[in-house]
Amino acid sequence: MADESPFRIDLGKLRSRNKDTSPKTVSRSDSAGEKHGFVERAPRKKRGRKPSPRTGQVHAKVLPDVAREISNEAKRRGVQQGVLIEEAWTLYRSSREK
Amino acid sequence: MPTIVIASPKGGAGKSTTAILLGTELAHAGAEVVMLDCDPNRSLTLWSSRSPLPPRIDVLSDIDESSIIRQIKTRDIDGNIVIVDLEGVASRLVSRAISQADLVVTPMRATTLDATIGARALQLVAEEEEALDRNIPHSVVFTMTKAVKSKQHKGIATSLIGQGVDLIDPPLMERAAFSAIFEFGGDLRSIPPQGNMAGARDNARAFSEQIYRRLTEES
Repeated sequence: MADESPFRIDLGKLRSRNKDTSPKTVSRSDSAGEKHGFVERAPRKKRGRKPSPRTGQVHAKVLPDVAREISNEAKRRGVQQGVLIEEAWTLYRSSREK
Repeated sequence: MPTIVIASPKGGAGKSTTAILLGTELAHAGAEVVMLDCDPNRSLTLWSSRSPLPPRIDVLSDIDESSIIRQIKTRDIDGNIVIVDLEGVASRLVSRAISQADLVVTPMRATTLDATIGARALQLVAEEEEALDRNIPHSVVFTMTKAVKSKQHKGIATSLIGQGVDLIDPPLMERAAFSAIFEFGGDLRSIPPQGNMAGARDNARAFSEQIYRRLTEES
């Protein structure tokens, strides 16, 4: 259906205006809002480390020197000892598939 | 280009409907419109997913209080009209958006409850004007009005005008097409006929012309 009486916008009449976005202005705006109950309501993000996806567990007793070496290697790389076990398992599986 | 903030701490006042009607009419009239969906209910995003967006409209979702000012500043450039659809609560997101507004529009139903809660947005604008030392033009539009105005409607209108509030005429009437736009997406020219389509288009166009007039008067 045709538009009976469209109106047109003169883009030249609409100018972008400078608005202060400095932290000081934002703080003044926040204070003005708080006076009227317009307070922070954004859900707070959970603090701290995200839970690890590694929820499985193995029960391995190894020789003391092997335990020391695994511990040192994990510390050096900044990973959990489970990561080394996963890598060793991947190697074991690939060697079995050959 | 101007930033229009649609603000009311009252839920169900017609903010998203107002934003969509205004955005689609201004785009139809030739403006590039960026709509920022700051409502956790994602009303604009849902509307935009229903069908391809009309020409010259872009919708950005998931804007929060930490990103609102940056998002407005990035889009508030020549060639764009930015429309910010806010959540229906009193939050810091609302006060920050108002701080960047060239025009604040407060939709409210012509009821005492809507007027009472909607008035908080007007008080906030006044407070921010003082705090930021700049004029922030603001207007009220009645939404979901009937053809015959109730005594309550007339009383609230008289009271607002008496307090110096800029009341936009025409109001946005209760129309099947206005609510159906969320079902079909698009604009009043693309949705299947719903009731009096010509009347709905005339209403939305006249309202948008009033907004345009205010934007150009103030610039």
